[in-house]
Amino acid sequence: MLTGLAVIGVARFLQQRQEFENATAQSYQLEIAARNRLAGGTHTTGARAVIVAQQHKREQLREDIDGETRDTALLVGAGLIAGLTGAALLFSGLISSMRRPLEELVEASGRLAGGDLDARVKVGGLSETAALGSAFNEMAAELQRRAGERDQLETMKDEFVLTASHELRSPLTSVQGFAELLMLERDKLSPKQADTVEIILDNTRHLVRLLNDLLDLARSDAGRLTIKPTPTDTGPLVEDAARTMRSQTEAKGQSLHLQADPNLPRINVDSDRIRQVLVNLLTNAHEYCPEGAAISVTAKRRDAEVEMVVSDDGPGMAADQLEHIFERFTRGDAGLTQHVGGTGLGLAISKSLVELHGGTIEAESISGRGSAFHVRLPTIPATADSDGGRRMPALEPHPQGEAL
Amino acid sequence: MTTRVLIADDSETILLLLRTRLEMEGYEVLAAADGEEVIELMHSATEPDPDILLLDAMMPRKSGIDALRQLRAEGVETPVLIVSAHQDEMDAGAPSGVEVSGFITKPIDFDRLFASIAELTQA
Repeated sequence: MLTGLAVIGVARFLQQRQEFENATAQSYQLEIAARNRLAGGTHTTGARAVIVAQQHKREQLREDIDGETRDTALLVGAGLIAGLTGAALLFSGLISSMRRPLEELVEASGRLAGGDLDARVKVGGLSETAALGSAFNEMAAELQRRAGERDQLETMKDEFVLTASHELRSPLTSVQGFAELLMLERDKLSPKQADTVEIILDNTRHLVRLLNDLLDLARSDAGRLTIKPTPTDTGPLVEDAARTMRSQTEAKGQSLHLQADPNLPRINVDSDRIRQVLVNLLTNAHEYCPEGAAISVTAKRRDAEVEMVVSDDGPGMAADQLEHIFERFTRGDAGLTQHVGGTGLGLAISKSLVELHGGTIEAESISGRGSAFHVRLPTIPATADSDGGRRMPALEPHPQGEAL
Repeated sequence: MTTRVLIADDSETILLLLRTRLEMEGYEVLAAADGEEVIELMHSATEPDPDILLLDAMMPRKSGIDALRQLRAEGVETPVLIVSAHQDEMDAGAPSGVEVSGFITKPIDFDRLFASIAELTQA
């Protein structure tokens, strides 16, 4: 307001100044004309009066303009101060009307980064912050849409694995069943035929294992891998796992030595799952070891735990390999694995299963000397429950292991 | 007396496999293609009742689970083994409150199957 007045004042002053200069110039011209007349000797009295009047008039003009200058200066000064104050007020208003939306943006960004995909900001205020706000909201909506798509894909993948597993299982049951049927009458087959059927059986078992591993992995990723622990006798469990492997190790001329201490304590486990772990370890030993190798499985008490050890005198592993052995899609030496079936998932799944039971699994190996896998499971704890279904955390994804 | 086993599966190949293996073990076999046929056989006046049922969990028309539920509702107490492609299906289709004698997964481990049948039909 005052600033406006100052501007108007300055404009008026400039006009008055122009008028003052015009009037002064006119006054000088009148005085000069009067002096000429005085010098010419004509109308001397009138000329003198004009000269005095003009001098007086200019004096008056100067006084007026000096007053105007002072007033204008005052006005300009006041205007300046008022202007500055106004600018400051205006600026602080600007800042506060920007600060709210910015604070809200910061807060919403934090929530979004924290995984809250519903985070949005109110769009309003200055056009700049409003634009920023709606840009943020668009970005958040896009993120949410993509996350939704990803979840949908994950669900589709899980359903696909389950369906594929179901659909493949029926024909596999037939192939395996009829091959086994042939083997029941092995003595009626020629040696070559018997070998052929053996190959069919080996490959069928491999396919079944692959299917089971993929299924476990999908379930684990979906957080659906569960165990149903019941009090279980340790000895028979280990014997059962060894028995499952007996025919395969014998076929390869490998010895399978079983040593379970008498009076082993009972363990609270899902026996199918722990058998799966033991069979998996034994299968690895069987497949990675050459013909004639010695494989052993032992079970003994160790404080409040039962320790089961599957060991072999096979090729073993180098330290850098051993380090990653429980990660997904990690497999033994490439030169060896060409002859070895498996998915590279067995040990990752075994580790998850053992940990789901509150146990631990460790591997030790000396390259060229053999390997040993130690599984330790707690003996019947106080919290023995059989209401089943503890959820397991997802398997640690391996950097290269997203190929499912 | 020979133990009679009623088997049900929608795959003819699986039925043939089951029948062959069971008959080799000395069992007498009755076969059904789905749950409806299982109910018909159980209701049949001419057919003597089986000693044990071996039902596929998932079959068209009527699943093994549904057939089991219906039979239990009718007061049939014959032992029933449910055959399923995988644990997930059993978990999903596990008939709550309906008594199942056991589960068998595919591919079938026949040693276990025979052991289960022997155990359940002994009493």
